[in-house]
Amino acid sequence: MKLKMNSLLSLPAVIIVGIVTQILFLATIFLSFIKWIVIRPDLGKFFVGLKNYKWVFTNQETYKIIGNTILMTALPLILCLILGFCFALLLDRKFPLQNICRTFILIPFFMTDAVIGIIWKTLLLHPSFGIAGYISQMFNSVPIDFFGKHAFISIIILIVWQWTPFFVLIILAGLQGIDLEIIESAMIDGASSIRILFQIKIPALRYHIQVVVMLGTIFILKVFGLIYVTTRGGPGVATTNLPYQVFKISYYKWDIGQATSYATIMVAMSLIVIMFMFNFIQKWIKRLEM
Amino acid sequence: MDQKIGDVSMIRTTNKKIGDSMITFLTYILCIVWVFPIYYMVLTSFKTEESAIPPSLFIHKFTLDNYTIIFDKTIFYHITNSVSVTVISVLLCLAIGLLAAYRIVFGKMKNPTNLYFWFISTQLLPPCAVLVPAFLIMNWMNLLDTRTGLILLYVGIHTPLIIWMVTSFFKDIPIEILEAADIDGCSKWSAFFKIIFPLSKSGIVSSALLTFVFIWNEFFFAVNLTAVKANTLPVYMASFMTQEGLFWAKLSAISTITILIPAIFGIISQKALVKGLTMGAVKG
Repeated sequence: MKLKMNSLLSLPAVIIVGIVTQILFLATIFLSFIKWIVIRPDLGKFFVGLKNYKWVFTNQETYKIIGNTILMTALPLILCLILGFCFALLLDRKFPLQNICRTFILIPFFMTDAVIGIIWKTLLLHPSFGIAGYISQMFNSVPIDFFGKHAFISIIILIVWQWTPFFVLIILAGLQGIDLEIIESAMIDGASSIRILFQIKIPALRYHIQVVVMLGTIFILKVFGLIYVTTRGGPGVATTNLPYQVFKISYYKWDIGQATSYATIMVAMSLIVIMFMFNFIQKWIKRLEM
Repeated sequence: MDQKIGDVSMIRTTNKKIGDSMITFLTYILCIVWVFPIYYMVLTSFKTEESAIPPSLFIHKFTLDNYTIIFDKTIFYHITNSVSVTVISVLLCLAIGLLAAYRIVFGKMKNPTNLYFWFISTQLLPPCAVLVPAFLIMNWMNLLDTRTGLILLYVGIHTPLIIWMVTSFFKDIPIEILEAADIDGCSKWSAFFKIIFPLSKSGIVSSALLTFVFIWNEFFFAVNLTAVKANTLPVYMASFMTQEGLFWAKLSAISTITILIPAIFGIISQKALVKGLTMGAVKG
């Protein structure tokens, strides 16, 4: 039996969450039909229909940026899943200092984007004074210009470093929940550890994989801070994703209409990507359960 | 014959032992590589500015100067900002989130899962989708670059996280306990404070710590909606790098301070994170 409760109990949460996430987003959609440049009050504000979207979609940069957004999510997702599985399998054994190792792997997830971006850009990957530069000097080779020429790959490395711990956390929890008897009896039957991994462990973890891939997609799509402190979207638009583009148009061009058009496209695109991933995983799970 | 079989199995077990310790060794190496950036950051924060470059893996001259130098008025100001914004936001999130979760799990509702999934679905929204209206409204209400403005946004964005996590702990409580309490004439408020809260205390604390980590680390709104007055630590960090140039030892010291609290809280509450996030999707 459940208690009788007034709907007032959940009202404060519904109101504030509703305002911040839904009403403000509706305002974004509304603003995307308006021409309004904040630093040019003389031009006024007026309704322009779909003109902002027309501008956005005739701009060649847009396609590059959408591509970046998808690649910057897909590549880290695949790498995080593989690395996360490897680490989780390594940590899912009994060995001395287990907890310390686990903690070491987890820490990057609890660090703010600003710190991650800055220490990688300066201490580690700086071509003249970072560890990477030092190593290339040792081998007498030309230091790699990580955040210039190879900016895109560097951002991917940073995202993978930040998000792999999250994958390890969830996958490890799944591995530790598997019934040991099943694995032992498979081992007695002479199954190799690779077969056990693919035929017992991964299928048993299907729901954990679903959770981690879906949440990973949602989180990694939003990447902003790492780009902001390292490459600033450059060179050109090489590392600009949609969230960064929204920021750039808002704060450099002060064009409300275009910025909100990009924001609306970002939401539409994330929904498409999330739906796609969800269907993909559902199909995979169905195939496993057949 | 028997002797031979014994030999073979002994070789097998020693082989397995060697293999095991090799895997353990590999694990150690990978963990050290993984944590190296953090180790190097903490290490550099104890070096003198002159010895920070060129890089070396050991400290030649240990110093605490970087910490004493950066601990001036400015950083205290930003630490105060971060702490007050984060703590107040977490408390508000808890206050309204716990009530909502209480109703979702124990209240009579037609479709409690609808409300629950509505809250979770709000997490799909990328922050950039609300940036421009948030900026305009806060500008209009004079909330730009204030802690109040940031707190209001954070409460709206992170309350669903609390609801998501706390619901998983509330569902562990058998509903029969409440029935007994109801017969004893216990009101829904005293049921909450005397039964539900004590039973799920550790889960609630972990959820709060985790929300603390997320809000402390939040960068997108913090950098876009504050300028000088309400800057949180991560934003100050980002501007410190461009202002100060090559003072890497000090940079490392500030970075270390910035990640210290969230790292500790995060590690404490990791189990709750797994439980909260996998519940519903993972059976059991």
